[in-house]
Amino acid sequence: MSPPSSPLPAAGRSWRSIPQQVNPDALSSKGRRRRVLVWVKYSVLAGFTVAAGWGAYFAAHSRENDRTALSAAVRSGPVREVSLITDGTLGRKWVTDILAVPANTSLMALDLTALRARLLTQGQVRVAVLTRSFPDMLVVTLQERMPVARAQIETGVGKQPRQLLVAKDGVVYEGVNYDQRLLASLPWLDGIKLAGAGGGYAPIAGMDAVADLLSTAQLQAPHLYRGWIIVSLARLAEHDELVVKSQDIPEIIFTRREDFFRQIAQLDYVVDAARSQPEAALTLVNLALGGQVAVQFDRPADHFSQTHPTITIQPQKKGKRDF
Amino acid sequence: MTSRTGRIVGAVEIGTGKIAVLAGEIARGRRLNIIGVGVAPAQGVMKGEVVDYRAVCEAAHHAIEMAEKSAGTRLDEVWLAQTGGHLDGFYNEAYVNVKSADNTVTQLDIATVCALAKQKELPPGRSRIHEIRRPFRLDGRALPNPEHLTGSRLEAGYWIVHGQENKVSDNIHVIGGYHVEVRELVLSSLASGALLTTDEERQHGALVLDIGKGITDYVLYRDGHVLVTGTLPVGGDHLTNDLAIGLRVTTAQAESLKLRHGRGTVLTRDKTDKVWLNGDKSFGDRQLTRLAIETITAARTLELLEVVKSRLSSAFSPEHCGAGVIVTGGTAKMSGIEEAAQRVFSLSSRRGEAPEWVKDELKDPMFSTVLGVFQFGLLTASEHPQSARRGGLLGSLTRIFSS
Repeated sequence: MSPPSSPLPAAGRSWRSIPQQVNPDALSSKGRRRRVLVWVKYSVLAGFTVAAGWGAYFAAHSRENDRTALSAAVRSGPVREVSLITDGTLGRKWVTDILAVPANTSLMALDLTALRARLLTQGQVRVAVLTRSFPDMLVVTLQERMPVARAQIETGVGKQPRQLLVAKDGVVYEGVNYDQRLLASLPWLDGIKLAGAGGGYAPIAGMDAVADLLSTAQLQAPHLYRGWIIVSLARLAEHDELVVKSQDIPEIIFTRREDFFRQIAQLDYVVDAARSQPEAALTLVNLALGGQVAVQFDRPADHFSQTHPTITIQPQKKGKRDF
Repeated sequence: MTSRTGRIVGAVEIGTGKIAVLAGEIARGRRLNIIGVGVAPAQGVMKGEVVDYRAVCEAAHHAIEMAEKSAGTRLDEVWLAQTGGHLDGFYNEAYVNVKSADNTVTQLDIATVCALAKQKELPPGRSRIHEIRRPFRLDGRALPNPEHLTGSRLEAGYWIVHGQENKVSDNIHVIGGYHVEVRELVLSSLASGALLTTDEERQHGALVLDIGKGITDYVLYRDGHVLVTGTLPVGGDHLTNDLAIGLRVTTAQAESLKLRHGRGTVLTRDKTDKVWLNGDKSFGDRQLTRLAIETITAARTLELLEVVKSRLSSAFSPEHCGAGVIVTGGTAKMSGIEEAAQRVFSLSSRRGEAPEWVKDELKDPMFSTVLGVFQFGLLTASEHPQSARRGGLLGSLTRIFSS
């Protein structure tokens, strides 16, 4: 007969309530060795469990990607439609042309990895995800690059120069389906050397700085940005300087060693101040001199100094919000 | 190493003379397979109590390691035999009036009376080792299970064995020092009794005496249940000491004489019958009369048995002890011990013999306690279901790595 459960609390301590854990100092050398072995054993056990779990996951995942096995398990037909989801301008026709899936190819027979690689060779595509939607639809989800500047390359004597777009990460590509007004608003890049790579061009180094400058200008001083025609990277590698040619000022020098926000604020101040001198036009603004700004006008200095006081720019002390 | 599928349990006895360890594989909860043995001379133990922790650990851990090596696997847990002069026991009983209107005994009545019977407070610093229930009594009728029977007064009684908490804890910590858990604590006398007596003998009544080097444990069975258990801090060492003093020899020589010529009763009549002290006839070796040796050992043995009898007092009566006296333990190897027991208890007496399933090499009386620990532990395993907690996948994986 099994002992019935007691409705009353047990009186007194049982030996089972004596703590069995001994002070580490009280462990004998054999006990310590055994304890280490137990730890090792449990570590190995944990490792084994993790490995088994990973193995199971891997096996399941492999099975999921095993097209032959899956084609037998699910009903799939020839690809009838390619569906496109994108955050940019690319269209379904463009995607279909690039993928060039042969007619009557079974959905399960598609090599999604190869198709994805094909899409990623196009510079405009940053991320591509391809999924099967049974029974007969291929879903393509894209994230596209956005251009920050344009580049022009010569294609031969007597031929029209070719326009290429450059993204923030320096990738050079031919834009598809972009609005022409948007493209016209992008400045040209100068002082770059395009190197061929894998049927296209190698990414341009330093474009992150250019993108930073342009986006800051576009956001904080759109009236200035609108006039920018060319951004030169010729002095970037050596002097950390970007040279902008705008409609009004032939040469504006920025440095990437300092905050572009502050430099654009200084430029805005200089332009405003120079506007009050209609008889003299700015030819150079150098913002790469630390706290100082050097400006140059198209009139001789003596003529200018006789009629106008010096433009003094105090170091920027205002916060971004005050600008 | 061999792969094991069951739980690997170690039965450990920390005795005054030796530390014995058996490694057993318990399969399917009940089937025991002895797979390893380890024995080491005890150090730092006096009358079953730890007096030198480091020395005991050294010896005990050596014995455990030996058992693990011979088993080819590591112990998952330990069932520990407990003895010592600090152990004591008392009987406590309680009764309830059956609650139901038709006087049918329910589970609640049984649970209540059992809880009440176990409610007796212990003195400070004492820990319960065992609570052994005697048969229920329903209106005076002794019953193994009164549920669904009719009666008005239900009685239950428990023989409660308790010990000095710090001494019990010392024993447990010796095992803890090897980084293995003590899952069961079994009174040595109960362990020996469980091994050496059959159900039938217990039903007829039997007295089991386990005479060790420093301690004598005893258990008295009646009507198939444990009636009394007890421990005397007297054992084979006392015979040795008496020989050493009486014959003016060293303790080692006295121990040797006891093992070679000691008897529980005097058999020799010839006063000229002599034996050599060392037996190698070397310098200092001399002759002693066999009669002197037997007289001393028999006197001490009889005295020891008389003390046990007086401790049992009214609980013992020859008419309720039909199966007689069973003697075991290291000192039980001495000749004439059965005759001594027969003389003191006026009952048939025999030396305890391990059951047939025990391998020949484990039939030595020094293994009766550890073998009994397994026997008793398996019989009462259902009372402590947590013993089987290392099952399932994790347990299996653990055992795979252990082996």
